[in-house]
Amino acid sequence: MAGSKKRGRSLVPGLMKGMATTARTMTRPAHTQQYPDVKPDLPPRSRGVIALLAENCTSCMLCARECPDWCIYIDSHKETIPAGPEGGRDRQQNVLDRFAIDFSLCMYCGICIEVCPFDALFWSPEFEYAELDIRDLLHEKDRLGEWMPTVPPPPALTAGAPEATEVAAANKPARTPRTRTGPAAAGGPDAAATAASPPARPPERPPAADDGTAP
Amino acid sequence: MTQAPRELTVGVGAGGLATADMVLNIGPQHPATHGVLRLRITLDGERVLKAEPIVGYMHRGAEKLFEVRDYRQILVLANRHDWLSAFSNEIGLVLAVERMLGMDVPERATWTRTLMAELNRVLNHLMFLGSYPLELGAITPIFYAFREREDLQAVMEEISGGRMHYMFNRVGGLRDDLPSGWLGRVEATIAQVRRRLPDLESLIVGNEILHARTRGVGVLDVGVVTSYGVSGPIARASGLDIDLRRDQPYLAYDEVFGADGPGRVVTRTGGDCQARLEVLLEQVHVSLDIAEYCVQRLGSLERGPVNVKLPKVLKVPEGADYVATENPLGMNGYYLVSRGEKTPWRLKLRSASFNNVAVLGELLEGTLLADMVAILGSMFFVVGDIDK
Repeated sequence: MAGSKKRGRSLVPGLMKGMATTARTMTRPAHTQQYPDVKPDLPPRSRGVIALLAENCTSCMLCARECPDWCIYIDSHKETIPAGPEGGRDRQQNVLDRFAIDFSLCMYCGICIEVCPFDALFWSPEFEYAELDIRDLLHEKDRLGEWMPTVPPPPALTAGAPEATEVAAANKPARTPRTRTGPAAAGGPDAAATAASPPARPPERPPAADDGTAP
Repeated sequence: MTQAPRELTVGVGAGGLATADMVLNIGPQHPATHGVLRLRITLDGERVLKAEPIVGYMHRGAEKLFEVRDYRQILVLANRHDWLSAFSNEIGLVLAVERMLGMDVPERATWTRTLMAELNRVLNHLMFLGSYPLELGAITPIFYAFREREDLQAVMEEISGGRMHYMFNRVGGLRDDLPSGWLGRVEATIAQVRRRLPDLESLIVGNEILHARTRGVGVLDVGVVTSYGVSGPIARASGLDIDLRRDQPYLAYDEVFGADGPGRVVTRTGGDCQARLEVLLEQVHVSLDIAEYCVQRLGSLERGPVNVKLPKVLKVPEGADYVATENPLGMNGYYLVSRGEKTPWRLKLRSASFNNVAVLGELLEGTLLADMVAILGSMFFVVGDIDK
């Protein structure tokens, strides 16, 4: 049969090709990772686990409210700090009692970290916290705090990125006091003018340093 | 193929011979279907008389959940219905919101989005190029496909932090800027994937057994394609020359599919399983070309932001808009109705897989049971995308 003859002919080069591929692959190192022995090299933005810096948390509840599946639990109470010696007034301060993230519900979207105005939450690339019991995935405040040392510094940005707001603010030339006729320019010396914008200015153009990204 | 009716002996030994049609349930939990798609197949012997896809086992009420979430929270859910094309899903939604807001997105964000959407397309196609032969009994291709996927996922993870659910789009741009040196690593990865792709290719299209299983099997003609609203690579494999990236350009596709851009629409006329597989394979090449083009464009763009400053509470003005994008699996559309609140009043999702699977009833009729898996696998669907 013509078909079988053709098949017989194509068998030999096919076999040779297969053997050549095998030989070529044999000389190459394996592509697989030796995971438990060799830890994977994860990028700094990797979303592994959420770390909490409890000192920065003011229990403002923004993260708990913005969480798409409400897996953040926060309890806090108010404490009164007595007035200082030279006649101040009593201040109230939120004290964080409980901060817990239920990683069995968490969808790892990172919204809580994004909305945190006080930089209390961070991503860490650590991922080895699987549990045998799902209830153990509820990480309380101290457990979340333990992840803090594993948080990597953010990666440097590409050259095309705009300069950071802090850098832009620092590089801005000092404003000279305005020579306006009428009431004297607020601030007077130019050192004060660069430090903070006067409250009367429209909110669109504050100096970049005080728009919340640089506490 | 002979269509002559045959008789199947169901019970022997009871004295008489009885023949009957047999109803066979494939799924909802079945190793040959990915996810929980159920097919109720009526068999006459080996031949499928009737096939009915029964969906809904993975329904999560995504559209209803959209209505009680703000637009950033919706992104979390939107990138999950089709978990293999998470980035493209995000894009459709943010484009709809941005268009209703009349927002201008920085150019660097647009090109980065295009780049990542194409990388996501490659990732998606590689998954099916690996899993489809697996369903036909070939184990090897999936290892090669996953090797390439791993490398591409690594660059995606570096910029977004996620390997599947990127959560990298925001209304008005992207979440973060590009890390230093990332574009170079993307280029190196693309080159590497392109260099190693022939390994996978020869395993798939050069394989005689795969040809025998797929050629002339499950032929879908253009009439059925248009009547069922089938889209994406499956429609193009039947000769329907349709691609929203070219026909209704969004992001930077205007230029990519322009006169001197690398974009082109891959079509086949066969309409069988092999044609569908070939379209997928060639689209990987085209997407890699587009991704490379995007990297070059991004390198030459001038400095600028990748997002715009948003108000604390983002409210979309009253009105309605429909944005459709060409997802890896087909057309994905969002119909957004807003009443000026911070959540949508209604967000209807048109997902590709739903229509692509609906055609199965038509397609499986008259085929052999042994071909069922070959046809089912070649429809390239994600069950989450069917049920939403």
